[in-house]
Amino acid sequence: MAAYLSTLRSDESDAVVGTALDGHALASRLTAKYGDRVASAFTVFGREGAFVPLPDDLPESLATALRSRGIDRLYSHQRQAWDAARAGRHVLVATPTASGKTLCYTLPVIASVLESGGKALYLFPTKALAQDQVAELLDINRAGDLGVKAFTFDGDTPGDARQAIRLHGDVVVSNPDMLHQAILPHHTKWAQFFENLRYVVIDEIHTYRGVFGSHLANVLRRLRRICAFYGVRPQFVLCSATIGNATEHAQALIEDDVTTIAQSGAPSGDKHVLLWNPPVINPDLGLRASARSQTNLIARVAIKAKLKTLVFAQSRLMVEVLTKYLKDVFDHDPRKPARIRAYRGGYLPTERREVEREMRAGNVDGIVSTSALELGVDIGSLDAVVLNGYPGSIAATWQRFGRAGRRQQPSLGVLVATSAPLDQYLMRHPAFLTEASPEHARIQPDQPLILLDHIRCAAFELPFVGGDTFGPVDAEPYLQVLAESEVLHREGDRWEWIADSYPAIAVSLRSVADGNFVVVDRTGGRQTIIAEVDYSAAALTLYEGAIHMVQSVPYQIEKLDWEGRKAYCTRTHVDYYTDAIDYTRLKELECFDGTNAGEGSARHGEVHVIRRVSGYKKIRYYTHENIGYGPVNLPDQELHTTAVWWQLPQATLDEAFPSRQAALDGFLGAGYALHTAAIVAVMAEARDLQKAVGSGEGEWSAHVDASGRGQVRAPDGGLDRIDTLERFLPTVYLYDNFPGGVGLSEPLFHRAAELIRLALATVDGCECKAGCPACVGPVLAADEHREETPRMLAARVLRLLGATA
Amino acid sequence: MSELALRLASLRREAGAPVIPKIRPPAPARPDIDALRRMAGVRQRLGLPVTTRSASRDVPGDELAPGLRYLEQRFAWPDAPSVLDLSFAKLEPAARHRFLHFDTETTGLAGGTGTRAFMIGAADWHDETLRVRQLYITAMSAEPAMLCAFAAWLDEETVLVSYNGKSYDAPLLATRYRLARMTNPLFGLPHVDLLHPMRRRYRHVWPNCRMATAERQLLNVVREDDLPGSEAPRAWLTYLRGGPSTDLKRVAAHNLQDVRSLGGLLVKAHAWADDEK
Repeated sequence: MAAYLSTLRSDESDAVVGTALDGHALASRLTAKYGDRVASAFTVFGREGAFVPLPDDLPESLATALRSRGIDRLYSHQRQAWDAARAGRHVLVATPTASGKTLCYTLPVIASVLESGGKALYLFPTKALAQDQVAELLDINRAGDLGVKAFTFDGDTPGDARQAIRLHGDVVVSNPDMLHQAILPHHTKWAQFFENLRYVVIDEIHTYRGVFGSHLANVLRRLRRICAFYGVRPQFVLCSATIGNATEHAQALIEDDVTTIAQSGAPSGDKHVLLWNPPVINPDLGLRASARSQTNLIARVAIKAKLKTLVFAQSRLMVEVLTKYLKDVFDHDPRKPARIRAYRGGYLPTERREVEREMRAGNVDGIVSTSALELGVDIGSLDAVVLNGYPGSIAATWQRFGRAGRRQQPSLGVLVATSAPLDQYLMRHPAFLTEASPEHARIQPDQPLILLDHIRCAAFELPFVGGDTFGPVDAEPYLQVLAESEVLHREGDRWEWIADSYPAIAVSLRSVADGNFVVVDRTGGRQTIIAEVDYSAAALTLYEGAIHMVQSVPYQIEKLDWEGRKAYCTRTHVDYYTDAIDYTRLKELECFDGTNAGEGSARHGEVHVIRRVSGYKKIRYYTHENIGYGPVNLPDQELHTTAVWWQLPQATLDEAFPSRQAALDGFLGAGYALHTAAIVAVMAEARDLQKAVGSGEGEWSAHVDASGRGQVRAPDGGLDRIDTLERFLPTVYLYDNFPGGVGLSEPLFHRAAELIRLALATVDGCECKAGCPACVGPVLAADEHREETPRMLAARVLRLLGATA
Repeated sequence: MSELALRLASLRREAGAPVIPKIRPPAPARPDIDALRRMAGVRQRLGLPVTTRSASRDVPGDELAPGLRYLEQRFAWPDAPSVLDLSFAKLEPAARHRFLHFDTETTGLAGGTGTRAFMIGAADWHDETLRVRQLYITAMSAEPAMLCAFAAWLDEETVLVSYNGKSYDAPLLATRYRLARMTNPLFGLPHVDLLHPMRRRYRHVWPNCRMATAERQLLNVVREDDLPGSEAPRAWLTYLRGGPSTDLKRVAAHNLQDVRSLGGLLVKAHAWADDEK
């Protein structure tokens, strides 16, 4: 197979083109030649630009600076942003990628610096974006000799420069982590800055969702407290990529009203989009050729057609692999400058800057990147974007496609599907990309652990007095808890910080709690840290005996120090990898809300999750044979969180299914499909939202075993016989994989009926025979000939839960 | 623990927070306030003397304001030079009366807005003596009064003297004045930080250049029963939370010695100019 594909690759690309083409022509050629692989082709039509003159109240020196850079008019949305900001409103700019969002905030910010010495704080999610911004500000500044001082302030800023930035910076460009750990806890050093703070600009707010967004909302509550201390109320200017609820999300972050500007006045060319499904190579098992091979093919064709091409890969490793493949074709002459470059996190900043410069200068023909280039790093214009796999959200897909398109030229965007369920779902439901509302960003700023962390930090920054609230939250019970742990001291109506500690250091904005495990390589007496593993993944990947891979080099875990959060390993040369066997059991603690769902019910509430890793399998490479088992002895992982769940009454099940086994298999398949639908619906990462099937009372849990059938386990992990259970009330759960929940399951409950419908559409619409990774999960070949396939059973459960096809 | 505290504690464990074994001794049982009141009433009726608080809660000095206490002592120092040469710190010479040696005792070293000074000691040459004045607070609400009292000791003539004060004490006080919405009286005053000249001169001579080392080497000061500076936060907190004042008094003694030594070290450094002539 591999040999076949590689010969296919080498001559296919040359057969398609030999000369320069534009995005439209290439899309047509590809569709003509590979019609069977193009699951869908459509065009997003471009539009004329809507231009308006520079505003009259723009300071003359700024207008001159703009004109000298060739800007003598604005896009209509830039003018709207100017007017709203000048009217004192908080502004949200939610226009597409590359529509000139930067000027929307640059103009009011520079005007306020020039007119009244106002200061501005910019927050970007990454350092690279911050550096871009400063470069752009300095360009305008130089062009008009405006005297505006803009600096980045991040972890790399040297100590002696910090003092100057605090005193003299007009525009300080930083990130939420620095605001949280370095600026707010030292706000007195920034007193002059805060006293004159006029604007707070937060770009890429769609990246602040889930845990990160919940943290940011609390950092902003702290920022507003500090601003109030210095007697200022800065205006917020927020920018977002296209998401389903940009306004609501912006208002949730800053807890205030915003004026939304969503209509772009920037011109754009037609965008030709292909959804590309690799050819099927084993129809029975639904196996397809790899996405990698297809991405490589399309990128080669595009580059040969003289299109500047950007390839997005999902992992750093895949970036390297695809770069090598493309370099083998285009960069085999070492005397010539490189035409293909890779870009990803983990490179040194200087190297990344150099790659960005080369790209802007147009010296690079093909770039392979991780999501690092999804945000607004300026890399100049491109003609084609190839996505190696669905990025996981509609919003990110469009944002990546948005990277292509210069002037009014037609551009090309290709999404190459992997065999993952989401990718295959999209190939069958292309309308999802174009018609469904993009994902909603959700935050849960009042999550108790996150709140406690930030009230602690806030109390360090300024004492709480009397009935002070924190955002809308009554802080008192939290202050009492902090006083009980001797962090605060209550005197009269004041809660004063008393501990000798710096609380912000202990709070990471990017997770709920910081319990990372380090993996230490002890090969040959070394003591080298080779990896870090999230607490939540530790039990599944760092048990003694596990094979842990770093850059595909295998290490064997020899000792796990659970309390010390360390795993010790040595380099090994085995021909297998390991896979944990784990069981999850849920118990309902409290039901917040419930509703009918077909003949059953859907509910939302608090659950207790117990996860146990009981052992692991050794699986040989390539053949995927199971060559042995090992035991694992780890404490149970417990989790109190929120969940949404569906149930059907026993009588209904008895009537609808020939056996309990069939009903259980149906629930497992339905759970798989619901999980996929839910991830798509709420813009969640798969690991943040988990699924489980079990009894509502936590008496048993169900899993798919090696034979492809559902198995029931008692709480002690032992196998149970399904037919001997007194009560049989299977339940499918989707739960937030964070202690206390992060607010994913509540919107799922409100959209329960829609999810059931989406899940059934996936199952019914799948082209497989009995079930596959794209619908109800992988099934064995033997199951294909069952009278009732797993797919049929899952569809029946979904119909009983109210879905109509 | 409150219900919220219990819930938060269990969530933290689930989130992977390391389990820290409790090393704090169990809190003493809360006396029943009503029972205490009843007892007091019984005593009054019996005509028994009401015992005052245990002597160990005594705090020395005068109360300048509620929660703010003041200590003053003088030490004979007849032969202090009338003008001190500051060339070691690249500053103009200054008359003796202008110097104010100061040192703070704080609630910790964490930095940022959460650390405060609970004691400020200052020494100056007054008549033929070294006058040491100390301010300290026994309630957090007295901090603004302390900052105000200290500000009154400074004027535009003042030359500050400290040991590592440029990096530590002065910025910390600047933060406290800012939080109290008061003008920072230290701002713009010349400041002789003796750590740096000592370090330049003795880095390769002494095992380290801490203040205790400098005073032992140059002034032959050997402290007895000295409470290490790192113990100061605990000593003050103990008192604040209703514990004995024993260690708080030792902090005051430590602080007193610190500012006295600053005077001695300054005179030594002044004399370096003669060595070089």
